[in-house]
Amino acid sequence: VTTWLVVLAVGLGTYAFRAAMFAIVGARDVPAWAQRPLAYVSPAALGALVGGMLLTAHGTAEVPGLAEAGAVIVSFATVRRSGNIAAGIATGFLTLWAIAAVTG
Amino acid sequence: MTGTVRDTTQATSSRALARAGARDMTPMVIGVVPFGLAVGAMMGSSGLDPWAAAVSAPLILAGAAQLTTLQMLEAGSNPVVIVVSALLINLRILLYSASLAPWFAGVRLRTRLLLATSVIDQTHFVVVPRFEQGDLDHRGRVAYYTGASAWLVSAWLASQLVAMVVGAELPESARLDMAAPLALIGLLAKSVGTRPAALAAALGVAVATMGAGLPLHSATLVATVTGITVAVVAEATS
Repeated sequence: VTTWLVVLAVGLGTYAFRAAMFAIVGARDVPAWAQRPLAYVSPAALGALVGGMLLTAHGTAEVPGLAEAGAVIVSFATVRRSGNIAAGIATGFLTLWAIAAVTG
Repeated sequence: MTGTVRDTTQATSSRALARAGARDMTPMVIGVVPFGLAVGAMMGSSGLDPWAAAVSAPLILAGAAQLTTLQMLEAGSNPVVIVVSALLINLRILLYSASLAPWFAGVRLRTRLLLATSVIDQTHFVVVPRFEQGDLDHRGRVAYYTGASAWLVSAWLASQLVAMVVGAELPESARLDMAAPLALIGLLAKSVGTRPAALAAALGVAVATMGAGLPLHSATLVATVTGITVAVVAEATS
């Protein structure tokens, strides 16, 4: 029963976050003071998510391996040049596998 | 007569926009499927009530919070602590909701509440740059958003269900766990066009890393808010 209640509470709470602003912002415009911060939600959140995935492990900061670092740099550069995210994922993985194969 | 013609064009373009949304979401789908398979496999082998675990996927619809919830449940943590931790992880969704909501301001409430069910990192990141091009009316935005989020959500749920039922043996050497960060790296490369934006991203990375030990899994949220704040200040003083 606890399991169900916890899952339900997390699910409902999360939906409340999702729907809150959709419900409030109806026909009226967002005030100007709120527009500036909203423009930086994507880069800030992306940085935070990527940092959490690549540079931490078990709740502490961690230096990534050579293969991971190489993959990230090549992937980033690929998308900067081509604008194609799928191509970036592909070159990232090729780099990852190549470095892993060489360094064993 | 003209009305009929216009309706047909509109229906076609809505469908085309939904397809475009799905196409633009595909790199993110590549990123989330390995994660979904891993979460599904974990649910299949855990000691938790399989139905509750299965229902957690569509109900929470956010990978990190779902995984944390299930892991803490299995570890027998205090239920209140579990709910608070998971909701803190998901509080960032409120920012996505705020940033997406104005684009759907002209849409009826019932539709908006339905669209809200799939607000998550990937939908926000993919959809906002497309909306910012400014050529879509709200009908077009709903179509694009629906196509993008339906593809993401169905792939995410399917990957979990498949792994939960039949299991998933992912070869460890393939490092498919890197698909999710690499997909986000691509978005990051596209979103750091201006100096304040680059600063926001750099601060996000730095604070998420340094603050990894923050209580209740709050590092991502703190890092995001710090990044936004610094970018706004930088923009104002430049």
